[in-house]
Amino acid sequence: MSTRSPARLIIALAVAGVLAVFLVYTAVAGGSTPTLTPSQVAAKTSGKLAVVGIVVGPLAGDSHGTSGLRFQLKDPTGSKPGLVRVVYHGTAPPPLFRVGRSVVVSGTYAGSHLQGTNILTKCPSKYTTATTKA
Amino acid sequence: MAELGRAALVLSLGLSVYALVAGAVAAHRNLRRLSTSARNALFCSFASTLVAAAVLASALVRHDFSFAYVAEHTDRNLSTPYALSAFWGGQEGSLLLWLLVLTGFGSLAVFLNRRLLRDLTAWVVPVLGGIGTFFAFMLVAVSSPFGTQTAPLDGAGLVASLQNPYMVAHPPMLYLGYVGLSIPFAFAAGALLSGNTDERWIVATRRWTLVAWTFLGFGQLLGAHWAYVEVGWGGYYAWDPVENAALMPWLAATAFLHSVMIQERKGMLKVWNMVLVALAFELSILGTFLTRSGVVNSIHSFAKSPIGGWFLAFLVISSLFSVALILWRLPLLKAKTKLESALSREATFLYNNLLLVALCLTILWGVLFPIVTQLVKGEQRTIGRPYYDFFLRAFGLPLLFLMGIGPLIAWRKTSLRALARTLFWPIVVTIACGVALVFVGAGSSTPGIIAYSFSAFVLATIVLEFVRGTRATGSLFVLIGRNRRRYGGYIVHAAIVLLAIGIAGSSAYGANVEQRLTRGQSVTVDGYTLTNRGIIQRTTIRAKETRVLLDVRGPWKGQIQTGSNQFFNPPEPAQEVAIKTNWLRAEDLYVIADEVHPATGIVYVQILVKPLVNLIWIAGIVFLLGSGVALWPDAREQRRLVTRLAPARA
Amino acid sequence: MTAAAIVLGALLAVGVVVLVALPFLREPVVSDDRLDAPSEAEERRLELVEERDRTLAALKELEFDHRTGKIGDDDYRELLPPLRQAAARALRALEPDQEIAVTRRAGVEEVQPKH
Repeated sequence: MSTRSPARLIIALAVAGVLAVFLVYTAVAGGSTPTLTPSQVAAKTSGKLAVVGIVVGPLAGDSHGTSGLRFQLKDPTGSKPGLVRVVYHGTAPPPLFRVGRSVVVSGTYAGSHLQGTNILTKCPSKYTTATTKA
Repeated sequence: MAELGRAALVLSLGLSVYALVAGAVAAHRNLRRLSTSARNALFCSFASTLVAAAVLASALVRHDFSFAYVAEHTDRNLSTPYALSAFWGGQEGSLLLWLLVLTGFGSLAVFLNRRLLRDLTAWVVPVLGGIGTFFAFMLVAVSSPFGTQTAPLDGAGLVASLQNPYMVAHPPMLYLGYVGLSIPFAFAAGALLSGNTDERWIVATRRWTLVAWTFLGFGQLLGAHWAYVEVGWGGYYAWDPVENAALMPWLAATAFLHSVMIQERKGMLKVWNMVLVALAFELSILGTFLTRSGVVNSIHSFAKSPIGGWFLAFLVISSLFSVALILWRLPLLKAKTKLESALSREATFLYNNLLLVALCLTILWGVLFPIVTQLVKGEQRTIGRPYYDFFLRAFGLPLLFLMGIGPLIAWRKTSLRALARTLFWPIVVTIACGVALVFVGAGSSTPGIIAYSFSAFVLATIVLEFVRGTRATGSLFVLIGRNRRRYGGYIVHAAIVLLAIGIAGSSAYGANVEQRLTRGQSVTVDGYTLTNRGIIQRTTIRAKETRVLLDVRGPWKGQIQTGSNQFFNPPEPAQEVAIKTNWLRAEDLYVIADEVHPATGIVYVQILVKPLVNLIWIAGIVFLLGSGVALWPDAREQRRLVTRLAPARA
Repeated sequence: MTAAAIVLGALLAVGVVVLVALPFLREPVVSDDRLDAPSEAEERRLELVEERDRTLAALKELEFDHRTGKIGDDDYRELLPPLRQAAARALRALEPDQEIAVTRRAGVEEVQPKH
C-alpha cells in the first residue's frame, strides 16, 4: 500500500464518475420540456411542450372520442393576452378539472393548437393537496 | 384573545433578537452572566411562542371565526382532531409550528448541554436566536396567524382529502424533521465559532440528528401512503418539487449520519461534515421555501406568496454565513489521520456519502431547473420523471450494494481474503436468487432484477451479521443491547432494503391497463377478471357518492366499488379508488374509475396490479424499530459521559 | 380582550423580564464574570479521557470483528499492538502515579492498574 492516502484519488475518481454519468445521460436523453404560459406559446411554432393556464370554456367533446376533448387555456395572471386551443386525447381528465381551474397540459404543439396527452390539475390556492393526474 | 397571540409573538421576536445579540456579545467577550441571560431568553422565547400557539389552538377548537385563519381553514362541523390539524393547514400556522419546534428543541438542546460544552453552547444560543429571529419576524410582520375579522357564520372548511389521520400526522412529522436539523447545524456553527472543532459537538447532537432524520423519513412515507390510498392515481411518489423538498435534506442527513462515524473514530472528514450539516439545514429551509412560495409549479399548489422573497433572502444569508464560517476555521479542521485503505469501512462510508450527495444534488438540479431556465432563457423548462428515475437507479442501486458490503468490511482495512470469506455465502444466495427470479419471470426488467438481487445480497449480509454476532456474544438480546447503534443501523438497512424491493416490484413489474366497459362487459388483467355490474349513486351528509360495481374473479374473488365523491363543504370532488391487497400473491389490485356515465352504464376504468407495494409501508415500521434501537439510551455510555465531567482527582 | 388574556399576557411579560435579568439580579456585583470555560488543565484532562474512551472502544470493536470473522488472524495480530499501546498511553497519561497494564482476560480487554 502506498504511503500517500488513496482518499484523494478515490474522491476524484468518484466525482469524475458521477459527472460522467450525469453528462452522458443529459447528452443522450436530453429531455426537458418547455413549460409556458399561453402568451408565450404564440412565439413557438411547434414541438413538445407543457402549457400552464386557466381552463376557458366551453368544453366540447370527449377525451376518448376521435375528435377529443376540446377547450382553451388562458394566461394564469389574466393580464396577458393569448389563448391556446387544446385538443386532448387520453384518459378522462381528473375530477378536479373544470372551467376556471388552473391546469398544466402537456403534449405537442402543432402550430394552431396543442395536442394534449396529459392533464395535471392544481387545487385553488388554499393548502389543499387533493389533486390527481390523468 | 388574538391580541394576546400577537403580543406573545412580538415578545418571541424581542427575545430571539436578545438571544442573538446578547448571546453573541457574551460569547465573544467571555461574559458569564450575559451568556446565561441570553440562554434564559431562548428558554423564554419558547414559553411565549407556546402561549401564541395555545391561543391559536384554542381558537381552532372553539371555532372562533373572528380569527381569519380559523375561518379560512375550518368549519363548524369539523371534529376537534381535524380542527386542531388545521393549525398546520395554512402558511401562517405552519410558520408558528416551525418557531414553536425550533424554540422548544433549541431550549432543550442548550439546557441538556449547558455544563458539558459551556463555551460551545455560549455560541449555539445566538445561532438559534438568529434562526428564531427570522421566523418570529415573519410571523409578526409578514404572515401573522392572528388577523381578525367580523366572524362569519361558518368557516370555509377543510378539504375532505385532508380529513384523514395521515394528513394529521404527515406535516407535523416533517416539521419535526426539518426543524430538528437546525440543532446539529447550530451546534456545528457553535463549534466553529468557539474554535472547539473536535468531535464533542457531534457526540452532543448525535441523537438529535437521528431523531430529526427519523421523523423526516417516516413523515415522507406517511405522505406517500396518503397519496397512494387517498389521491388515487396509482402511485405514491411523483418527483414533485414539494416531495423532493423533503427528500433532499433527508439524503444529506443520511450522508451526515454515516460520515460523523468516521470523524468520531478517526478524526477525519471534519470539513466534509461541516459542509454536510450546513447543506442539510439549508435544504430544509429551501424545502420550506419551495413548499410555500409557489415559485415552482407543483401539484401541491400553494399560492404564490410574499414570504418567498424573505425565505430566499434568509437562505442566501445563512448559506453565506456557513461558507464564511467554514472558510475562516479551515485551519482548525485539519484531519488527524488519513484513510489507510481503499478497502476499509471508512472508504465504503466515503463512497456511500458521495452517492447520497450526488443523488441529492441531482434532484436539486431537477427542482431548480425551471427557475434557472426562466432566469437564463426567459422560458421555463421542466424536467420529467425519466430523469429522476434514471438517476435513482444509477446512484441508488450502487448504494444498495454498498449497504451490503459496508458492514462486512472492518475499520481501517480488510484483506481481500477475509472479505472473500465473509462474502461467500451472501454472494451464493444472491446468485441463487437472481437465477430463481429469472425463472419466475422477473427477467422482464433489468433494473428490477438487479434491485431484487442486490436486496437479497444485503438481507443475506444483515442476517449473517446477526447470526455471527449472536454466536460471539451468546445471546441476541445481549448482542443488540451492547451494540445498539450498530444493530439498530442494520435494522434500518433492512428497512431500506424492503423499501427498495417494494419500489422495484411496484414500478418495474405489474400491470397498468385502461379499459372501457359497458354493463356486463369483462376484462382480464394479470389473472384478475373484472366485470362491470353497474353504477350506483348515493348521498350522505358529506358527499354525493358515485360508484362502479365490479365483480372480480381470479386470485381474489369478490366485489369492489370504485368511483368518486362530490363533497358538499367545501364543494370539491375527490377520487375514491378501490384497493384490494392480495397477501398471498403479495400484490395490490388497484382500480380507478376514470369516467362514469350513469345514464348508459358505460365506465372507463384504469386497472393496476402493483406487486410488493405493501413492503414499502412495512418498511416504515421496520425503519422506526431500527431507529428506536439505535436511539435507546445506553446506561453504560451515560455513566461514562458523567464521569468525564467529574472533577479531576488530586 | 378578556381579563384572563390581559392577566396572562402581563404574567408572561413579567416572568420573561425576570428570567432574562435573573443572572444580574442574583449577582449584581461579581469578581469573575468570565464564561465558565474549562481551564487548561480541565481541557487537557477531558481530551485524555476522550482519547482513552476512543482507544478502548476501538479495541473492543477490533476484538468483536475478529471474533465474528471480519478480520483475519494476521490482520488482527498486526492491528492489535498499536491500539493496545495507544490505550495504555492514554491511561498512563490520566493516572501518572500508577503503572498500567492492559491485559486480556476472557476475550475482553480489561485495564488493571498494577501497583
